[in-house]
Amino acid sequence: MKSRSMRLIQGAAVASTLAASVFTFVGGTAAVANAASKKFTVAYVVGAASDPFFLSMKAGASAEAKKLGINLVWQGNPSVYSSATQIPIVQTLLAIKPSALVLAPTDTKALQPLVAQYIAKKIPVFNVDSGDANQSNITSWVTGNNLQGGQAAADALASAMGYAKNCTAASKCVVAIGVSSITTSTDAARLKGFAAEVAKKYPNIKALNPIVSNSQPAVATSGFKQDLAANKVSGIFAIDGTDLEGAAQAILTAGSAAKSIKVVGYDAYATTIKSMQAGKISAIISQQPALEGKDIIDAVYAKLTGKGKISHLTTLANIVLTPANCAKLCATYVYKTA
Amino acid sequence: MSTVETPVASSNEAPPPSPLKRIATYAANQQFILFLVLIGVMIFFDFHNTRFFGTSEFTNLLVDFSEAVLIAAAEMYVITSGGIDLSVGSTIAVSTVVGAYAIQYLEGHHFGEFPSLLVGTFVCAGVGGVVGTINALLITKARLVPFVATLVTLSMGEGLALVFSKGGTVGYDPAAAVWSSTGFWIFRWLTLIVLGITVILGIVLHVSRYGRYNFAIGSNPFAARAAGINVNRHVASVYVLSGVLAGLTGMIWYFNSSGGAPQNGIGNELEAIAAVVIGGVSLVGGVGRFSGIILGVAILTVVHDGLVFINVATTWNEVVVAGFIALAAVLQSLSSGSKRRT
Amino acid sequence: MTNEREPILELRNINKSYGSVKALTDVSFKAYAGEVIGLVGDNGAGKSSLIKTISGVHNPDSGELIVDGVTRHWKSPHDSMAAGIETLYQDSGLAPDLTIGSNIFLGRELEKKGILGKLGFLDQRAMERKALEELEKVGITVPLSKRTVSQLSGGQRQAVAIGRAAMWAQHVIILDEPTNHLGARQSLEVLKVISAARDHGLCVLFISHTLPHVLEVTDRIIVLRLGRVVKDALTSDFTVESLLGTITGLNT
Ligand SMILES: Nc1ncnc2c1ncn2[C@@H]1O[C@H](COP(=O)(O)OP(=O)(O)O)[C@@H](O)[C@H]1O
Ligand SMILES: [Mg+2]
Repeated sequence: MKSRSMRLIQGAAVASTLAASVFTFVGGTAAVANAASKKFTVAYVVGAASDPFFLSMKAGASAEAKKLGINLVWQGNPSVYSSATQIPIVQTLLAIKPSALVLAPTDTKALQPLVAQYIAKKIPVFNVDSGDANQSNITSWVTGNNLQGGQAAADALASAMGYAKNCTAASKCVVAIGVSSITTSTDAARLKGFAAEVAKKYPNIKALNPIVSNSQPAVATSGFKQDLAANKVSGIFAIDGTDLEGAAQAILTAGSAAKSIKVVGYDAYATTIKSMQAGKISAIISQQPALEGKDIIDAVYAKLTGKGKISHLTTLANIVLTPANCAKLCATYVYKTA
Repeated sequence: MSTVETPVASSNEAPPPSPLKRIATYAANQQFILFLVLIGVMIFFDFHNTRFFGTSEFTNLLVDFSEAVLIAAAEMYVITSGGIDLSVGSTIAVSTVVGAYAIQYLEGHHFGEFPSLLVGTFVCAGVGGVVGTINALLITKARLVPFVATLVTLSMGEGLALVFSKGGTVGYDPAAAVWSSTGFWIFRWLTLIVLGITVILGIVLHVSRYGRYNFAIGSNPFAARAAGINVNRHVASVYVLSGVLAGLTGMIWYFNSSGGAPQNGIGNELEAIAAVVIGGVSLVGGVGRFSGIILGVAILTVVHDGLVFINVATTWNEVVVAGFIALAAVLQSLSSGSKRRT
Repeated sequence: MTNEREPILELRNINKSYGSVKALTDVSFKAYAGEVIGLVGDNGAGKSSLIKTISGVHNPDSGELIVDGVTRHWKSPHDSMAAGIETLYQDSGLAPDLTIGSNIFLGRELEKKGILGKLGFLDQRAMERKALEELEKVGITVPLSKRTVSQLSGGQRQAVAIGRAAMWAQHVIILDEPTNHLGARQSLEVLKVISAARDHGLCVLFISHTLPHVLEVTDRIIVLRLGRVVKDALTSDFTVESLLGTITGLNT
């Protein structure tokens, strides 16, 4: 139940965290300038830096940057995914005159004036994961295919529930859905892909309105418990890790009838994979953050050196991990947290 | 010296009200109206889906009520004493994370499930107590206004929860979930404990010396000081109490979500304040009934859960809650307006 | 006044400075049980400084304070209260949201008997009842002790506040501008309570700028000017004009 006034208060709170992060960053510029004499310095600004998704991306990007001799300045608000906290960071980084900017914009429009400032200084700008609405200033964009991920989730869930046998027009299979935020583009794309696939292929699935958890697992739990109490739920689509935690908890406390509920969800955290191996999750939809990080650094390198080809848009598929393919794939796709 | 023949403090009492009028005043009572609305809303939910008046849904409602009631009670103590505590939400987050580490460590060292959870509860309460103590020092020693002091700890708690947890949920503890889902009928043991604490808090506020001082300070701190009450010490203790209750709520959230998530509780201070407002508690201090915040938390819980229950998009939640806050505020201003006119 | 009696309160050569500002210079007077003393003076004359010294808010730089025959050194206002002195400050008063009974017993609550009392449970009913009784003793009849103070008129409130002081004081009550901001009729209510307190054998120090009130209710008037006692005489010796002249320094 976040309200606007709450965000205001949080905004004030965040200002202090941000001041601290910009401060440490400014402290670091001297070292960057010294080391930059030979190497390229690339500013890399993500959404919420502590999110394992971005941590995993950092691992992929850093390894590639090291290999290519690129100096990465990695920045992002530690916890808040918002343009209000991202804009000052991007603004400040302009002062160090990086060779290139890689940006995961937290808003499709709000960052564009700043991007124009970079372009005016002849600094090329790249998008990773999320993208600006207007791509004319963007050299290259590497992103995951969340729409396809949502569709894949619908297929995985239908098959786990035994759609052909168990879901009929007379007794539809009820599916509960949890999202972190309905305004985040990735969540929206996954939801859209899921809904489109259900509408196209699975008329005997009844999808409930999504529970919005605001990234609070306990809120997700409480919402799923409502769905479970109100309906005979057969499946759950958990659109991110928070909702997956919430769904697992709701099922755990809902008694034996809930044990047969099939769960499909994002993302490939180590703990989620463990849950799947324990039989509590039917399938995990994984993004490829490390590969996104690696590919965008390759694109940056190609642009800066003039060597190699740059494609404007690279879309990486979302991967479906199941107990059947886990032995082969899980180790590759698990998100790194350190 | 001339003597004055005017009657002192003459009794300008109206004659005792007729029974009909007494019923009318009772019906005009803000809490009574809100209670009727609450019942109406519940009947409406059950009309949509008759599972609403069922044991499993009432169990859920009580669990969610118990997640919210202690910080609402904490906010009530602080607000009636003339302050405000914005840090209760982020204290939940930081205590649930630290508590989760403590439990993880103890269980990792073969301390046994139940003792680990018990120690974890004290750790959570202790972390809350530390945050409360910081609030108390900022307010009574550094002389910050409560809004600013607790804004400081709000951001501090939010930040530390993320730093400590590195952004992810700490520990996964099905034992806690199993334990937290045992009980009888619509009650879980955890819910019963929380309800017990709530009743004690209500009694202390309304019939004990401590509660009396709380209202007195919120009503007029100068008068309280002149009456020999150690105002600073009491105010400090209220913030520590609030911190401890938020810390305990962190433990409840740990039980209910089987781990310490750093996002849990973030922003919930406003829910607590909303419950206080709906309950008819004056935000400037000195006035309020504990039963009011029970009603406030009940309304928020029923609306929050019920809308999901009848499959209304959760985005409507805040709109409906806003309606309740507005209704409560209007009822309150109407009743105080009529008082002013007499 | 029967001056052969022991004074209940005596000040001898009290001096008080705030840095370079001399607020009180060699202030001496005696006060007896059962009399109302008016303490008057222009703004900055030292009235507040004087009552703060008597009630233990601060200590004098030099001089002697004797209450009930014993020389006292207050460490805090608590000490003066324990010695039987109650003070009603200009800004403190009552807690408007508490009932009359709760206000009367504020800081001195009655606890229930037995184990409940040990746990801090209050005996509200006893407090409400006793509050009515005690207020009646000083001539205050309030409608219902269960009412909150905010529901009383300004005069009733001040009467209750004074009644509270009178109820708890053994020897002296100090009232700093109790009729300020009150209408004529409400001020009369307050003055009546002051008289009643005197009749109960208390010594009342009444600070006021409203000279007719001072002339009406006091037995004796002490005039302060620039921190010194410039006149200490029976009220019957003054008229409004002569009192005003003494305060401003036109008469000497
Ligand atoms: N806390 C203080 N610090 C410095 N000077 C003070 C303080 N309190 C009073 N004074 C000074 O002492 C003198 C007496 O003041 P006060 O006792 O308040 O007089 P009154 O109450 O009669 O108006 C004045 O000159 C006043 O400015
Ligand atoms: Mg004064």
